[in-house]
Amino acid sequence: MKSFSSRTLNQSVLYLLLLVSTLLVLAPLVWMTVCAFKAEGEILRYPPTWIPESPTFENFEKVLTRYAFGQWWFNSIIAAVCATTLVLVLDSLAAYAFARLEFRGRRILYSIILSMLMVPIQVTIIPLYLEFSALGLIDSLVAVFLPTTALVAGVFILRQFFRNIPIELEEAAFIDGANRFQIWWRIVIPLSKPALVSVAIITFINSWNAFLWPLVATYSDKSRTLPVGIGQFFSAFSGSAGSAPQFGPVMAAALLATFPAIIVFLILQTYFVRGVTMSGLKG
Amino acid sequence: MPPRQAAQQKPRSLRGNPIVPYLFVLPYLVVFLFFRLGPSIAGFFISLTDWKMIGSPKWIGLANYESLLVDPQFHTSLINTFYFMLLTAPPLVFFGLLLALLVDQHLHGRVIARTAIFLPYIVMSTVTGVIWLWVFNQHSGVLNYYLGLLGIRPIPWLASTTWAMPAVSIATIWWTVGFNMIIFLAGLQDVPQELEEAARVDGASEWSVFCHVTLPLLAPATFVVVLLTLINTFQAFDQIYVMTGGGPSLATLTVIQYLYYEAFSHFRLGYGSAVAYVVLAVLVVFALIQRRLLPEEETP
Repeated sequence: MKSFSSRTLNQSVLYLLLLVSTLLVLAPLVWMTVCAFKAEGEILRYPPTWIPESPTFENFEKVLTRYAFGQWWFNSIIAAVCATTLVLVLDSLAAYAFARLEFRGRRILYSIILSMLMVPIQVTIIPLYLEFSALGLIDSLVAVFLPTTALVAGVFILRQFFRNIPIELEEAAFIDGANRFQIWWRIVIPLSKPALVSVAIITFINSWNAFLWPLVATYSDKSRTLPVGIGQFFSAFSGSAGSAPQFGPVMAAALLATFPAIIVFLILQTYFVRGVTMSGLKG
Repeated sequence: MPPRQAAQQKPRSLRGNPIVPYLFVLPYLVVFLFFRLGPSIAGFFISLTDWKMIGSPKWIGLANYESLLVDPQFHTSLINTFYFMLLTAPPLVFFGLLLALLVDQHLHGRVIARTAIFLPYIVMSTVTGVIWLWVFNQHSGVLNYYLGLLGIRPIPWLASTTWAMPAVSIATIWWTVGFNMIIFLAGLQDVPQELEEAARVDGASEWSVFCHVTLPLLAPATFVVVLLTLINTFQAFDQIYVMTGGGPSLATLTVIQYLYYEAFSHFRLGYGSAVAYVVLAVLVVFALIQRRLLPEEETP
């Protein structure tokens, strides 16, 4: 019976580890949620309470009335949607040419594009800033999302995927008189949904979370995105701006920014995970 | 990566109007040229100038790089960055693997655990920063309260030059460990069960099955995780900007932060670009190591 009991012991240890790690990871998120609903007096009290004594919405009210939170939110959504749409169109067109069409300079162009996988946007913010200043586009949403549309990983992932589609389908359509764009749009794109969804998710997350470039490219609420708003007004040094936020509103803002992402994630989880795994290459 | 198809197809191409392929590539190329390739190259030339935000650039050759060599703040930022990598990367890889192995076991609730552990990754970097800013608060943070129960006196986390970096590191580990877990999990799916079973039948202990069968087969995933972790920790900016702003007394100033402050607080665009190019040089080294060691992915 020894093996049986050591097995159950093993199992219990594994369950314990699973439980502890899950709880440790969730604790800060739960803490954020709980504190968002606490009144200011309760928040700083020792010992900390994990259930608000008298739940209140006043923190949310402060966030929404004192800051342009709704505007940041809206800007983030618009930027992410524009970036994603553009990336899907541009990258899938280019990827199709690199996967299937023959033209002069194909190899060299593709190598140049791939080589940019190692250059993150962080390294190019200064030239980008000068470029957008010259265009008079600093502090506009266009400046926020346009640089993210040159996603290299998207071209790479889609090209790999397109190459694995049986070419006979395309040849048959070609013989039936379809032109390249029709083949791309009617045959290749519908067959590539999984890859397209993954690329869309990578782009959306990149854009939604982007901080450094939007921080540089915006200076007013008109074009400020959510991460920038939170980073500038709720960080350790926002106090010097004269409006040091209290703990409650900060947590309410954090919750408002996080909650929708969590819901979307839970719905699209499978695609999400696949997208993230693919972005192992990242762009 | 897209699903592996049976045999590697010979990439055949369709013939037709020679202009058409360029029409496919052109829209992307425009964006790529203006916002990716162009800036990457322009950055180098900017780094050879003395360029205050206002006024015109003055060509000074390699002078910026020479200044970097003797710039104590730049050295501090480099040392800090490597210290941050040292504190953050090993636990990220280790716990990533451990958690992947854990949720890969046949346990009830593993799917929920997997989702929960991945969850912080979708929290914004700046939100991660503000949450932990308050968790680490010296006087009213939860962490010090619970450490107090264990008899540990309040630690001035973000206010202390000793503790600020570990604190930032803990927040970062929390934020991204789920990502590494997912990559390791994908790698574990590629480990054939039969091999592990065979080793067990031959009387190998669980530990030696892990060491001699699972771990070697997990090498490609491990490699990807290690490299991405190094690349990402080397570029850390967001959460640190929010939590400490590089302080106290530059204790958490990283290279990307130094780049940002030089260029956009002190308006030294040329100098900032030189920092950017040093960062890029390090990243290229990482990428070359990847090329060297990784089995050739399908490249054109």
